[in-house]
Amino acid sequence: MLKLDHLTKQYKDTLAVDDLDFEVKAGVVTGFLGPNGSGKSTTMRIIMGLDRPTKGRATINGKQYHDLASPLREVGALLDAKSVNPSRSARNHLRALAASNKIPYSRVDEVLDFVGLTSVAGKKVGGFSLGMSQRLGIAGALLGDPGVLLFDEPVNGLDPEGIRWIRDFFRTLANEGRTVFVSSHLMSEMAVSADEIIVIGRGHFITSGTVDQLTATAAGTVLVRAANPDSLASALPADAHYEALNDGALRIAGLSAEDVGNLAFAAGIALHELTPQRASLEEVFMDLTASSLQYGHQTPGVPS
Amino acid sequence: MTPTLWSAIRSEWIKFRSVRSTITGILTFIALTIGISAVVCIAVKSHWSDPGSHFDHLVFDPTSTSLTGIFLAQFAVGTIGILAVTSEYSTGSMRTTLSAVPRRARVVLAKMAVLIAAIVILGEIVVFTAFTIGQAIFKGVVPTASLATGDVLRAVMMAGAYLTLITLFAFGIGLIVRTTAASIIVYTAVLLIVPIIVNFLPRVLQHDITRFLPSQLGSAMWSTSQPAQTFSWGLSSGILAAYVVALVGVGTYLLQRRDA
Repeated sequence: MLKLDHLTKQYKDTLAVDDLDFEVKAGVVTGFLGPNGSGKSTTMRIIMGLDRPTKGRATINGKQYHDLASPLREVGALLDAKSVNPSRSARNHLRALAASNKIPYSRVDEVLDFVGLTSVAGKKVGGFSLGMSQRLGIAGALLGDPGVLLFDEPVNGLDPEGIRWIRDFFRTLANEGRTVFVSSHLMSEMAVSADEIIVIGRGHFITSGTVDQLTATAAGTVLVRAANPDSLASALPADAHYEALNDGALRIAGLSAEDVGNLAFAAGIALHELTPQRASLEEVFMDLTASSLQYGHQTPGVPS
Repeated sequence: MTPTLWSAIRSEWIKFRSVRSTITGILTFIALTIGISAVVCIAVKSHWSDPGSHFDHLVFDPTSTSLTGIFLAQFAVGTIGILAVTSEYSTGSMRTTLSAVPRRARVVLAKMAVLIAAIVILGEIVVFTAFTIGQAIFKGVVPTASLATGDVLRAVMMAGAYLTLITLFAFGIGLIVRTTAASIIVYTAVLLIVPIIVNFLPRVLQHDITRFLPSQLGSAMWSTSQPAQTFSWGLSSGILAAYVVALVGVGTYLLQRRDA
């Protein structure tokens, strides 16, 4: 189990992680979602004892990382696939890791086999593709058969087959009862691979929940096609926002489909279409993080 | 099942022997120490009977002459010491290392243990080989030294000890500085440039400062009789060891404080 306790990291004048306080449950895949530069990697480095928090703490099974007697047996992490000396062979890299935590060498061959690197185990890591390096990183994370696993942007650089493999892999790990914490800046990726999602922006917590919960909380809109759109528009309450679409339809926010139907009936306007529109997870994410983008960009203007 | 310092040492040993830079560093070290020493010994021998070489004869020390290669070899071992830590930063593998062994002081101790074991054994073998080859070259023409003489045995052994201490000295610089290029510059400056600068100081200061320079401490350690402007060989080794403790101490403190 992984727990963040008012975790805060302040660099000179930037607040990279701002009072994060949540628990990551075992047995499910938890997505850690936020735009680039929102503090995901910093949070993961603090969990792994690499950076020190300014305030608060991160604990694994109740202990801070540097207090874990045999860390690789409790936490496995793939933070940066390239944090390996390129002139060392894959096998030697894993053996050095294994030796440091008294893990038998037989386990090195097991994990190499599991990630499909047995045939290149004696080759220098420097010659590996990003995908192979990712696999080596995963092998290292699994070495101590840990109950908590962290992956920072694991799908970066993977081909579609590799992405599918890694999704199934997360699922398997979670089904085995492990805590699986996966960061990504891609909502679409999290929507298919995570059960629970924690959203952060500019270092602070925005929201969390299952994919369904997140989309449900976002206010949907109602698409209406009426025989007379103008009279429908004037029949709407003053606080309802609407947008007239080119084809004569109205997109109404702040009212349910039921409300709109009742209003139209009361005003005697015939409706040709009445469709509640749920926000996609992507839209929810954009909405939630729009105000917290570290490096905001303008929509390119259309030349007139 | 709980990992110990010994587990960390085993891990560091695997890392030490499994990269090419270590192997090239060690081969360079062997070649420089033995090769340069032999070349100098041959040069001395071939000019021994030249007219006007009486002064050379007066200051001649067959032991330290047969170990001249150390002047270059100290840069080979220094580079090994520096790379033991800076290569972890340049490749990013420091993060992997510190995740596996979160007690950072333990990482430092393990790396030092590996360096000491490697350089003590290798260094002693290499200096005794260079000495033996040198005396064989001198034989018959130039006066030779024998290990049966107490000071000679001590000087050769201390030459190996100097190489080990200077490796750790470089390792300490690497821990503090963290990048390979900058560490090598600092190390080279301390060994080569600082003595030149000190030469321009008033003579009174020169005498006080020179004795404390690592290069002078080394000369005192591997000479059979105490050279000018040095402390005794025993005190010199102590001072060099104190430098190592200070540098590695500061380096360890910084490693513990800094974000990896």
